[in-house]
Amino acid sequence: MNGRLLIAICGAKWAARCSQLLGRPGSSLPGKVALTLYPGTLKQLAARAQRGVILVTGTNGKTTTNNMLARILREAGYRVVCNREGANLITGVTTAFVREIGPRGRLRFDYAVLEVDEAAFPVVAAQVNPQAVVVTNFFRDQLDRYGELDTTVALIREALKRLPRVRLVINADDPLVAQFGLLGPRTAHFGLAPHTRVVEGGRHTREARFCPQCGTTLQYSFYHYSQLGLFRCAGCGFRRPEPDVEALQARYQGEGVSCLIRRGDEQYRLEMQTQGFYNLYNALAAFTAGTLLGLDPGRVIESLETYEPAVGRLERFRYRDKPVFLNLVKNPAGFNEGLNLLPANPGTKDVFIAINDNVADGRDVSWLWDVDFEMLEAVREKVPRFVCGGLRAEDMAVRLKYAGVDPKKIAVQPNLKAAVSATLDGPGEAAYFFATYTALWPVERILRPRLTPEGRADHAGRGSSVS
Amino acid sequence: MLVAGHLYPDLLNLYGDRGNLIAFARRCSWRRIPVGVREIPLGEPVDFRELDFLFVGGGSDREQGILAEDLIRRRDNLEAAVEDGLVVLAICGGYQVLGHYYQLAEDKVVPGLRLLDFYTRAGARRLIGNCAVELELDGLPVRVAGFENHSGQTFLGQVQPLGRVLAGYGNNGADGLEGARYRNVFCSYLHGPLLPKNPRLTDHLISLALRRRGLDPFLSPLDDRLEEQARTAVLNRLKVR
Ligand SMILES: [Zn+2]
Repeated sequence: MNGRLLIAICGAKWAARCSQLLGRPGSSLPGKVALTLYPGTLKQLAARAQRGVILVTGTNGKTTTNNMLARILREAGYRVVCNREGANLITGVTTAFVREIGPRGRLRFDYAVLEVDEAAFPVVAAQVNPQAVVVTNFFRDQLDRYGELDTTVALIREALKRLPRVRLVINADDPLVAQFGLLGPRTAHFGLAPHTRVVEGGRHTREARFCPQCGTTLQYSFYHYSQLGLFRCAGCGFRRPEPDVEALQARYQGEGVSCLIRRGDEQYRLEMQTQGFYNLYNALAAFTAGTLLGLDPGRVIESLETYEPAVGRLERFRYRDKPVFLNLVKNPAGFNEGLNLLPANPGTKDVFIAINDNVADGRDVSWLWDVDFEMLEAVREKVPRFVCGGLRAEDMAVRLKYAGVDPKKIAVQPNLKAAVSATLDGPGEAAYFFATYTALWPVERILRPRLTPEGRADHAGRGSSVS
Repeated sequence: MLVAGHLYPDLLNLYGDRGNLIAFARRCSWRRIPVGVREIPLGEPVDFRELDFLFVGGGSDREQGILAEDLIRRRDNLEAAVEDGLVVLAICGGYQVLGHYYQLAEDKVVPGLRLLDFYTRAGARRLIGNCAVELELDGLPVRVAGFENHSGQTFLGQVQPLGRVLAGYGNNGADGLEGARYRNVFCSYLHGPLLPKNPRLTDHLISLALRRRGLDPFLSPLDDRLEEQARTAVLNRLKVR
């Protein structure tokens, strides 16, 4: 180990210890210290992967996809470095390696599986020389931070061009992502078969109506949600690529989702315990990447079926007899997916929505108007009350009113503690919590002591409904 | 029946723009004023004079080019409608395109419709943040709140501003003016979107549209407590009283 790297690691370890003593999670500081002391830290540490580095990027689903892939690899017996949720800038990625370094500077691992923020992707990719890159989807997200979606996509496209030997694992249904398949590297596509209804709402949040290659309006013969579907360009012939891995016959089953996964000529049955059809895309991405790395498809399926969501990724709890769901929302496409859970389940439910406008949430909350709250009309009888919390509770309340929700059902409660209690003790048979990034952790901290998480034991009776 | 037109709903729908149409239509129907929203996609023929309200929103740079071509073909019809008193709300990119031009770089100029006397040029940094503006409606001062996010800086010629910046940047971050106003055309950089949180402005637009049709412009009051809370929350945060 060279001297500067050694100093950088000592500094980072010291920083990790300090933030631990201060009671902070310390997911970016150690990396920041290391990179300041020696800018080559990440490059040097990533190069120690015995088998390779895999990056996961895109707007939605990168945390879930990354965690799924890490689980698949670990259960196949590999040692895996994986970054913590949300710590997906170069500092957080560097911290992930530093954390795994033992007392004598030992760092042994087979794979590094890293979720990377779209804007940070070029700089991270240049350092870690990935073996494979997974791209989930592109939706509008936090515009005031990134400028516009086009810029983000262009940044990643240019970065991929500088990685000619990389294997790509990309979403065939998203034209903005599928265009990367034309860049040249070997590519595996995943997608949902047409006639799979993913989300009813969200017709107002299509991002890419135009061919990313030539600018002609795209034609859809089938349309899942947002810009995802069976697209074709009459101008240049660019079209949805034939997926290497495709989900067929997807449907809700009990409180999970099931489908057949077709890979080449083979088919596998997948029954997932996570709610939300959109998690299928995450599972498909992880399955495609896992099998691309040579893992046994049957084993991969087993790992996916026992996957438990991370905090706020449609996490399930129980409060007395009431099922409670906690869901992170950060952009219109994701929020629409979350709202579609409401009519999917029978029974009445209390709904809590916390909207913050800190930098990590996006300072501009106008995206709430691109969310299809009008679909709540379908659950009018089933939701006795909406509690709005967070720094922008008032904006959320106005949005619901103009979506047609009776103002008498809308409560504005900026105090999160009171708002959480009001929701848990509400008259509904279930409670749904939606929160933006910086509201999620405070809400979770208030919720958790009052709840029992649904452990794996509760999933024993899969197939039958979990009660 | 009032007809609210949404120009290029496919293209210009950034920053929750359609919220402005939702607000216009809801506040009509809560008062039992029949209203319909008509979407006007690229290339679809329309006579703007037949509309009662036209909304033009903002798009990405790529989209602005596509729509400018389409709009220039409709220019004379739009001008006739504006002179006839058509109520127009133009936000961000929709605002910029109504002026003389948008200078993107030294040698790159996107021509505008020249309906209003102003021009826009690209600024060195984006002007982003919550924003409060004081305007005058029927002789009374009204404070509106919104969010702005634009790199274009607009400079007014012989045209009224929409209002005076109380907090934030406005047209260019320098002269303290926000938006532009001509006949029944209201231009602004504020999205948020603008109308839902600022019901007095919305109602003013509805009244103008009714008056143009020779209908009674009086609007029965509504319970606007939620809207007022949302508006004052932003004003308080900006320390505007
Ligand atoms: Zn094309």
